[in-house]
Amino acid sequence: MVTDQRALLARFDRIGRSLENIALVSLLGLMMVLAVGQIVLREIFNSGIIWADELLKLAVLWLAMIAAIAACRENRHIRIDALSHLLPTHFIRVTRVIVDLFAAAVCCAIAWQTYRYLQLEIEFQDTVLIDTPAWIAHAIVPLAFVLTGYRFVIGALKQAFGTDEEIDAGWVP
Amino acid sequence: MILSGVFLVLLAILGAPLFAVIAASAMIGFSKDETDLMNMAIEILGIAELPFLTAIPLFTFAGYLLSESDAPKRLVRMTGALLGWMPAGLAVISLATCAFFTAFTGASGVTIIALGALLYPALKQDGYPERFNLGLITASGSLGLLFAPSLPLILYGVISEVSIDQLFLAGILPGILMIVMLSGWSVWVNRGNRQMIKPFSWREVGAAVREAIWEIPLPFVVLGGIYSGFFAVSEAAAITAVYVLLVEVVILREIKISELPRITRASMVLVGGILIILSVSLASTNYMISAGIPQQLLEWVSGMVTSQVSFLFLLLAFLLALGAILDIFSAIVLVVPLILPIAAGYDVHPVHLGIVFLAAMELGYLTPPVGLNLFISSYRFEKPILHVYAATFPFLMILLLSVILIAFWPGLSLWLVPET
Repeated sequence: MVTDQRALLARFDRIGRSLENIALVSLLGLMMVLAVGQIVLREIFNSGIIWADELLKLAVLWLAMIAAIAACRENRHIRIDALSHLLPTHFIRVTRVIVDLFAAAVCCAIAWQTYRYLQLEIEFQDTVLIDTPAWIAHAIVPLAFVLTGYRFVIGALKQAFGTDEEIDAGWVP
Repeated sequence: MILSGVFLVLLAILGAPLFAVIAASAMIGFSKDETDLMNMAIEILGIAELPFLTAIPLFTFAGYLLSESDAPKRLVRMTGALLGWMPAGLAVISLATCAFFTAFTGASGVTIIALGALLYPALKQDGYPERFNLGLITASGSLGLLFAPSLPLILYGVISEVSIDQLFLAGILPGILMIVMLSGWSVWVNRGNRQMIKPFSWREVGAAVREAIWEIPLPFVVLGGIYSGFFAVSEAAAITAVYVLLVEVVILREIKISELPRITRASMVLVGGILIILSVSLASTNYMISAGIPQQLLEWVSGMVTSQVSFLFLLLAFLLALGAILDIFSAIVLVVPLILPIAAGYDVHPVHLGIVFLAAMELGYLTPPVGLNLFISSYRFEKPILHVYAATFPFLMILLLSVILIAFWPGLSLWLVPET
């Protein structure tokens, strides 16, 4: 039973990781093509795409949010990492459960507030990129915080009940 | 309010992710002001409004690509051919190449990993003392923060709304000062050792330059393109990323296409960690400004110090303490909005403030007990952490001296910056 759940979680982890990689590579590629394309259009053809700048900025938003999910999976969110080098492991385990559950709660709160804001955008029919509904472009924010929050819960559970190999005591390059 | 503040600081010290702590502080502030918490959404979406932000992922990606290729090897060979004839030549080479590399990778420990592996054994082979090598590589790991296009410089420009072009110029001389002072120390320490001097050879210079021919244009693309007005910082970043991608993957074929997702992920995880802190700190900064905290701080500080000199002393002490506990990226987004108005009250130029800020935070990488470089070195070279503390200490002192010089000699930072 437990091993089944473990296997399922591991599979989720692999799929999630691949999806993140695909999204990150595509967004970064899009940014390079758009930015370099704009320069070429400007310098050679003396023209440009009106919405390219806005799309670039939205690409940064998406990249930041998806990279934040990925950072959570790798346990690479920036922390003041002083204690983990100085204190015994079991103490670190306890504190990590507490702080990760706190982070999960904060992520849920942000996800909820951004979800409310999206509903407002739908109501007011806000648009970006000329005529795209703004909520589509911004939907990544609540989604990312829900997933980040979920990862923190999983992280806390691993710290609490996991075997020693699953414990990630701190950032090691 | 005070209670919740103490609670949040405690959570941060216990290792809570900083973005969560900052977001929580903003939400507590908003709810105290009876502002709708939906404002969090507007503030977070604000990162899609900031100019030049595309430069951060693109430069970081380019830096990671370079570090995964054989570029570090070529760079060491080329600087070796140019500087190897000097006394303590290899030490000077280490400083120069690490600085160049950190400028591109944003001082995240990548330098120590990528270049340390090359330089540390080479230094040992040339007869440099082990303790010196360890300190040198550890200290070099964050050297170069002041050179374009380093991530902290761009982030400071985005936050302070100071022109990034000017910051790129302002960092050059202070950055060189740090390298020169550390080089001087290296020559002095190794003055007794003559075996390490290599004859200068035009033939070797030519071979090394030919080998690195594809990477040599990079600094010129970045700086030249920006200063000729040909393109903006964010465009220079895109050009750099595309150029490095073409060179390392298509022309030199040192990186396989199948490796790109892994490298992209590794670099973007760093970027994601920084940008999410940036996005939530837009909220906390706005709350603090609307609550009048910068003014209160200014009044409080002006009650203590009156002259610019004493203000700079206070600032340095504060930044050194800050650097010891907080990483450079979080420190920039959290603290810069608060100290900019105070520094303006003492006639400190915002460009100069940026250079002082980053130079002081650079020391944070080396300050015991928790400086990041110290741990990376200890891990990478398998040395006890106390040994790394001791080995790095003289370098830390020299860098401290250089930071003091940079702080009290604004002309050094502002020399190359055109009058505005």
